[in-house]
Amino acid sequence: MSSKTLPLPISRTGGCTLTGALAVTTSVTDSITLIHGPDGCAHHNFSLLHATLLDNGNLRIPNVMSSGLTEDDIIFGGEPSLAQAIAMACDKQPRVIFILSTCITDTIGDDVQGICRNSGVNICYIPTSGFFGGQFDDGFSNSLIAIAKFVKEKNAWQGEIKGERGLRVNLIGEKNLEYEVEQNFLEICRLLALLGISINIRYIHEITTDDLYTLPLADLNILREPSLANVGKILLELFGVPYLDSFPIGLDGTLRFLRDTGRALGISSEQAISREEECQRSMLAEFSNLAGRKVYRTNPVDPNGSSVMAEIMGRIGLCEDEDGDGIPVPVPLPVGTCGIRRMLHRWRRATT
Amino acid sequence: MRDQAYAPSVAEGNHVTTCINPVWPCALTGAVSALSGFDGVAVVIHGSSGCYYYPATLLHRELHSTFLVEQDVVFGAGDRLLNVVSDLSDRYEKIAVVTSCVPAVMGEDIRTLLEGFDAMLVDSPGFLGGFEAGFREAAGLLPIRMMSGLAQVNIEGINLADPFGRGNQREACRLLSSMGIKPGVIFCHDSYNHLMEAPDLSISVNPDLNAVNGTSLGSILGIKEMKSTIQNLACALEGSDPVPAEDEIASVDETIVRVSDKYLKRHDPPSVAIFSTFSYAMFARETLKRYLDAEIVFCGSRSVLPESVPGIEHVTSLSRISEIINNTCPDLVLGSSFEQSLTGNFAFSGLSPPLRGSIRLSSRPIAGTEGLLGFMEDVLNASMDQKKRLKF
Repeated sequence: MSSKTLPLPISRTGGCTLTGALAVTTSVTDSITLIHGPDGCAHHNFSLLHATLLDNGNLRIPNVMSSGLTEDDIIFGGEPSLAQAIAMACDKQPRVIFILSTCITDTIGDDVQGICRNSGVNICYIPTSGFFGGQFDDGFSNSLIAIAKFVKEKNAWQGEIKGERGLRVNLIGEKNLEYEVEQNFLEICRLLALLGISINIRYIHEITTDDLYTLPLADLNILREPSLANVGKILLELFGVPYLDSFPIGLDGTLRFLRDTGRALGISSEQAISREEECQRSMLAEFSNLAGRKVYRTNPVDPNGSSVMAEIMGRIGLCEDEDGDGIPVPVPLPVGTCGIRRMLHRWRRATT
Repeated sequence: MRDQAYAPSVAEGNHVTTCINPVWPCALTGAVSALSGFDGVAVVIHGSSGCYYYPATLLHRELHSTFLVEQDVVFGAGDRLLNVVSDLSDRYEKIAVVTSCVPAVMGEDIRTLLEGFDAMLVDSPGFLGGFEAGFREAAGLLPIRMMSGLAQVNIEGINLADPFGRGNQREACRLLSSMGIKPGVIFCHDSYNHLMEAPDLSISVNPDLNAVNGTSLGSILGIKEMKSTIQNLACALEGSDPVPAEDEIASVDETIVRVSDKYLKRHDPPSVAIFSTFSYAMFARETLKRYLDAEIVFCGSRSVLPESVPGIEHVTSLSRISEIINNTCPDLVLGSSFEQSLTGNFAFSGLSPPLRGSIRLSSRPIAGTEGLLGFMEDVLNASMDQKKRLKF
């Protein structure tokens, strides 16, 4: 056994910060993301993103660039390669260049920030540092924070002023690699429409740099999940925009989402809640033939998952039994009433 | 557009390493692909989880990792590696440790650390080069006991990441069997124990990945190569019968000539841009010239060129590939799903990994006679389908 203990609970299997950061930066469609490291780091992530986008029916090719470090760069320093790569990226005339560092460039001590600072172009440096920077989730949230600070610093929005087009919200930190990311977005749009609210931007999902600059214009930020609370707090500090900490999860959770959104924006949500309750009753009636069936489920990864699953099973009338049919528990948990409906179709198939 | 010449960019040929959207994996992935093909070998990626996940998802094999975190790097990763190797050593015949970028520059004496274990070390960090470099490095380090006089032949060039790998293996075994020859060790998809009784003769389905000592009798990738390899096999192995394989090749040649003639009666030869690994690209180039009198507007190799070969260039940037396709406007593009994603009025046929966006269940080869037939079938169907699309 190693005598060296790890400081606090660090996951060894949480993936690379680069992948998390790239899931965000490559979704700014007129940008280039430059990875300062060997081609392999860029290829692994580009290939993953490309596969995910294809799987999600999105034919856009993410713009990922590599400074292409070789053995000589590792020995003599990779800063000249980075400077050269920035010059090449500028030739492509992107609206913004995101620069991500890797574990090997941090190991050899390249001054990535210094090179970025002196380049004189529209650069947003995100110190990802490969596994030195943490894991996937860190790369994801740190890039959201770094880009928000970049937006604040640029202060480039010259268009309409806040409130000119009614109440609007930003969606913060959608899981861009999630298979049902668009379905979840549509569900949020449906629920917000019940309140008469529209989307300002999806921060950050398939938007342009100009869209980015409108980040401060929203009246409320809605986080994808509570683990992004730090991002919500920083957006509040930077732009004074309050936040809700999660997309709606569960039946009661969906109604609560409507109530909390209305409260945060100072509008009545009673009518919207009433309509959604009716929608839920109608949806549950579609699955009334599941009542009384014995099912077995695994424990959800999400800590709130058990209570949400118990709520849905109770409303349907399913009986939990170790000998029952196994039912799938989605990861992440289904969003809103429509997400629950899709899950229930899978449950019905599993118990037929 | 057949008259537009491809103009090399400043970036190519001037040792600029910057790459936009790199389409080819690193040396670590190649090394892991080679080693994980052998049952009985525990492959340990000595690096972080980020370096582990890509080969794990690409190869669908059981892989292990030290899953390094920052503390391991600051205070030394040796203990961590020893823990992982100790846990595995009772369950496998061999441990293979593959280093990623950071452990490779940390300066720890991993070789000494591994003394006492039946372990091999493959120093194949990503910055060393591309997939083939790592694959050959790892395959070349395998402890092989070669035995002369065995009436068997090894098969080289099988790669788990290759969509044609499984088909190539079956095709090579079938062709050898038709000559009355048993296959020896399959590099790299076999059991570790089999390495202890390897024949000293080999054929290949993909010469880019040849790494094993012994006598190479040639490849079965392409019709000329098949003919000469079968002659070499017949000379090297007494009692083998080349006639069935030779007859099959002649019959396949005749079939392809017939359908190609029919295509050319109605259509001009296609202009083709090829993007693949060196050997596959050369196979495609020579095959399309031979049967369709095709104009090869560009031939690009993912892998580093083994020597200066006219008419083929090393290209791994999707941005550059896009420029080339836009400049040359080919009728047909051969490549991976990366090339397929690019816009343009071209027909597409898959030649290199990854091939995503379509379901592939059967074991399709690119080598051997069945591989040749399958390749021409895909090319002709893609070209004719595209003409129909353009017509309507």
